[in-house]
Amino acid sequence: MNKRRPNPKQVPDPNEPLWRSTLRVAMPLNLSYIPIGLACGILLHAAGFNTLLTGLVSLLIFSGGAQFLIATMLTINSPLLSIVLMLFFLELRYALLSSSLSPYLKGSSNRFLFMFAVSLNDENYAINYLKFATDKKWTGKEALMVEHYSLLFWAASNVVGSLIGSALKIDLSIVNFALTALFLYMIVMQIKNRLTIVICLISGVLAAACMMLTKSTLGLVISTIIASLIGFGLEATLRKKLPDSHWLWRLRSPGSKKEAVEHSDAN
Amino acid sequence: MNAVNTWNSTQHFWLIILGFIVAFIPRFFPLMLFTKRAIPEWFNEWMKFVPVSLFTALVVKDIFIDSASYALLLNKYSEMLAAVVVIIVAYRTRSMAISVIVGLIGVFILSMFMA
Repeated sequence: MNKRRPNPKQVPDPNEPLWRSTLRVAMPLNLSYIPIGLACGILLHAAGFNTLLTGLVSLLIFSGGAQFLIATMLTINSPLLSIVLMLFFLELRYALLSSSLSPYLKGSSNRFLFMFAVSLNDENYAINYLKFATDKKWTGKEALMVEHYSLLFWAASNVVGSLIGSALKIDLSIVNFALTALFLYMIVMQIKNRLTIVICLISGVLAAACMMLTKSTLGLVISTIIASLIGFGLEATLRKKLPDSHWLWRLRSPGSKKEAVEHSDAN
Repeated sequence: MNAVNTWNSTQHFWLIILGFIVAFIPRFFPLMLFTKRAIPEWFNEWMKFVPVSLFTALVVKDIFIDSASYALLLNKYSEMLAAVVVIIVAYRTRSMAISVIVGLIGVFILSMFMA
């Protein structure tokens, strides 16, 4: 995506203003948000949301999954309470995401944490988590800027999607795949060793089983908690009993490289 | 507006406000709590596995679970094949935007041949 703006320097320019260096980090995400946001805006329009409210929901809820869920449930005429309940279970996963970011935001004011929480979502979490883990100079300030860039692109794409919603006829199942592709990309970027792949498989099977049993996305929350606990238990056991186990070897994958995020926009 | 749904804008507005509250609570309170007091080491070790478990669960929901009945679906061949393509592209390019766009084009072309 950045071929138009070639960046021959391997080392980032130290004099680059902050708004530009954070924009550079956020840009791959911003660009991926355009097709997904357009799709979401089109879907919300089809569900009866007007353009103003589409903008509002994108700013306040800011979650592709939640907004797709609202659109889907409105088209099947679900009652308000059941939509809000489903949203709650869907959004419950953010408790896990924000806990895992909290070590990097120690000492921040409640006002900052409020701003950070409001504009946190899956995708900018993934970017910020990678940056916090690999870049010592990455602070809450930069992370919040990445969040705001992605929020801006998301809301704008939703509004444009809503505006062109009536003019365009798109196969919605194809548009939905934009989200799936985004999650697949994030899984690939998280794979560090063979154990992670095993946990992926366990989580996949558990997710299918839990969703079939609960007949709701609550199954997602349950399977995520169980699969991550299994991963935690397996890793602790392997470290203790078989510290040289090949299951813990690092794989030559994006997730195990230090500069995973920097490289992601250098293609 | 040609809406399939009978709700008016006021009802949509309240849905957004309630949605904001349930979206905000799980994002804010763990952040506030755990930045003020120390997180136990085991909790961090556990949290390492959360994103990968969650994203896999979401992908399984998108590809293998029917969104209305929550029954197992094993016939979305174009999505399955496109998912494999996305994994390879993501691994090789490490680019989020390229992965998403290749995925969309892939599922579009595959669904034309496999419909």
